[in-house]
Amino acid sequence: MRLRQVYSALMFVAPFAVLLVLWAVLVPYFNVNPRLFPHLSAVWEAGVESVSDGSLFMHIGASLTRVAVGTVLALLVAIPLGIAMGVSPVVSMFLTPLFRFFSVLAGIAWIPIATLWFGYGFGAITFVIFNAVFFIVCYNTLLGVSTIPRQVRHAAASLGAGRAAMLTEVLLPGALPNIVTGIRTGLGFAWRGLIAAEMIATNAGLGYMLFVARDFYRTEVIVLGMIVIGVLWLLLDRLVLAPLERRTIERWGLVQRA
Amino acid sequence: MKSLTLKNLSKTYFDLYAGTNVTAVHDVSLEVPAGEFVSIVGPSGCGKSTILNMIAGFLSITGGDILVGGTPVKGPGRDRGVVFQNFALFPWRTVLENVAFGPKMRGVPKDEREAIAHEYLALAKLTEAAQRFPNELSGGMQQRVGVMRALANEPDILLMDEPFASVDAQTRMTLQEELTRIWQEKKPTVIFITHDVPEAVFLGNRVVVLTKGRVLADIPVDLPRPRAWDVLHEDDTFKALSGRVLQLVRSA
Amino acid sequence: MTALLHIWSGYLRLVDRWPSVGSIVPFLPLIALWWLVTTLEVFPRVFLPGPLDVWKSFLSLTYKGILPEYLQDSIVRLAVGAFWGIALGIPLGLLIGLSKRAYTALWPPLLFFQAIGDIAWLPILVIWFGYGLVTMTFVIVYTVIFPVVLNTVLGVRSIPVNMQRAALSLGASKLQVLWEVVLPGALPNIVTGLRNGLGYGWRALIAAEIIVGTSGIGFMMFDARRAGSVVEILLGMIILGILWYIVDSWILAPIERATGQRWGLVTK
Repeated sequence: MRLRQVYSALMFVAPFAVLLVLWAVLVPYFNVNPRLFPHLSAVWEAGVESVSDGSLFMHIGASLTRVAVGTVLALLVAIPLGIAMGVSPVVSMFLTPLFRFFSVLAGIAWIPIATLWFGYGFGAITFVIFNAVFFIVCYNTLLGVSTIPRQVRHAAASLGAGRAAMLTEVLLPGALPNIVTGIRTGLGFAWRGLIAAEMIATNAGLGYMLFVARDFYRTEVIVLGMIVIGVLWLLLDRLVLAPLERRTIERWGLVQRA
Repeated sequence: MKSLTLKNLSKTYFDLYAGTNVTAVHDVSLEVPAGEFVSIVGPSGCGKSTILNMIAGFLSITGGDILVGGTPVKGPGRDRGVVFQNFALFPWRTVLENVAFGPKMRGVPKDEREAIAHEYLALAKLTEAAQRFPNELSGGMQQRVGVMRALANEPDILLMDEPFASVDAQTRMTLQEELTRIWQEKKPTVIFITHDVPEAVFLGNRVVVLTKGRVLADIPVDLPRPRAWDVLHEDDTFKALSGRVLQLVRSA
Repeated sequence: MTALLHIWSGYLRLVDRWPSVGSIVPFLPLIALWWLVTTLEVFPRVFLPGPLDVWKSFLSLTYKGILPEYLQDSIVRLAVGAFWGIALGIPLGLLIGLSKRAYTALWPPLLFFQAIGDIAWLPILVIWFGYGLVTMTFVIVYTVIFPVVLNTVLGVRSIPVNMQRAALSLGASKLQVLWEVVLPGALPNIVTGLRNGLGYGWRALIAAEIIVGTSGIGFMMFDARRAGSVVEILLGMIILGILWYIVDSWILAPIERATGQRWGLVTK
């Protein structure tokens, strides 16, 4: 088992090793203008520098904090609301088109109005993130709850479940696969919204780091930033969110929904 | 175990898709003493499921009364356990946790309720499946879990809504025999809804024939217990009773 | 109480006959609420204009020809980007789905580059190509390609092995297997990929227009923000939403349903 995991980890890393080698060799070979594309060594140096002077961690910290705050707030509102709406077939049927509409606008489309309402800075960006997560999660929660077979709810009632128990023992677990899918999708939008918002609306964070570097043609910082963004999301999505989603769906046995 | 009384029960509801009022149950009266096994048969749409859902408290009563042990029913509750046609097991909980659910709702501590659940699983010969999830089991096994889940909560009345309809014929016969065996042990008051006439006669002390929301006939079943299919298949009394009930159902 | 039941029943039957009604009616209370909130000036008019203000702006911008031009710019960019994303994505997806070697070599970088996201490419794209159509198209292609490839791969891999074997044993060449078995078999998933890809592409377009655009709906919203005019921002958002809603619900979803359901194949 361990050998298998080591092997698949190696197979995952191998293509990148190849790409890194190509990068280290081809870019200097073709004498690419550093203002267009940086050398691998330059990116490495930029990385070392930004780690040692703390700026990289500052940017990462700023970005992640905004995502965390926006996401937590959104979940606190979206999940209870989604459950409350999903419980009633009338309400969920009526509101579904509204949610599908607002899901389209989730995130980036709210940047202009967010900066108008909250000015530049933490508030606007957190709002964009909140927005991106809220609509998707609320919609998915609603969907998840409304597709719990009515008989399962009846079964719980006839076994003596009160309202609190119905919520924790039936509604939440029943909707969980959908909720987790919603969180994963919502975070995807939130992450992109974050980078976009940071490019125009603030002075700290990964998006800002990229944008400012562009002004000075510091491509090595840009590429460094892109790699950091990619790695961060890859870690979050592949190591946390996707397995979580898979495990909930597997555990629930891909429940047959009516 | 308590008795069940239906007094002039009726149900009229507003059909959203038809836009009109529909009467599913007209005037049904029934006396079920404690510990009796009553099978209710009838053609599709005769109102038998509606009646069961009203007894269970999932549907409101628009006319008449339903009394359990003399007290009128108000909504679902643990005194009326239900076994559903499509099992309605909680897919996110193991078999053991499903069966222990009722006691859990009562606040029974973990060790005690798991012991109770194990006891009931053993009764249905499901001990090996205790840690599995419902979706890992066959339909027949899932339904046995469903029955045990309802029984483990020791309801006063057990309501079974065509519980074996979603299961293949062979398994169905096994489940029917198992049900009678378990009923012998615990003797709950049972209302068993089905459209399968031989099944109704095989299981019950009494067969009530329903048609278009009314009681057509109420026939006692005097066959000795325990009952087994290989014996009853050839039994003349059984065949006569089944024939008679079938005729009544088809004439409806 | 019964009156409400009758109203709801009438609504259900109406929606049954004309499903589009179900997509429109729920917005009416929302618009009414919006109108109420703005008339009562719960928020200052500068922050939240009412539906009538937005409507007037819509009429005036259309009349001046600005709105149709921006709309056209946006849609053309999306169409071009989507086209290339699909034209490149499907073959790539087929390749990765069918070839073990291509999968091992390309799947990890695919995931990584998807994780970087289109937005993060904007700064370097601006350095390379400036603020024009190339940058926009690149971003859209980049965004569209990943859902298309991923779903194509999923579709290819979900074709039962025996189907391909059956075709081979009936004398089909590898190319014929591709055309007769793999493509149709993967089609429902490919269509899902197209639908997702277009959705993401639409959002990427708006983002690109907001950040580096010089025309288009996204640019209109950001420009309005600079001028402090909320009305156009709201108008832009509503247009975006309606446009996508229409395309998705009335064109893409039915196509997805038609392929998936018709052939009885659905893989998630």
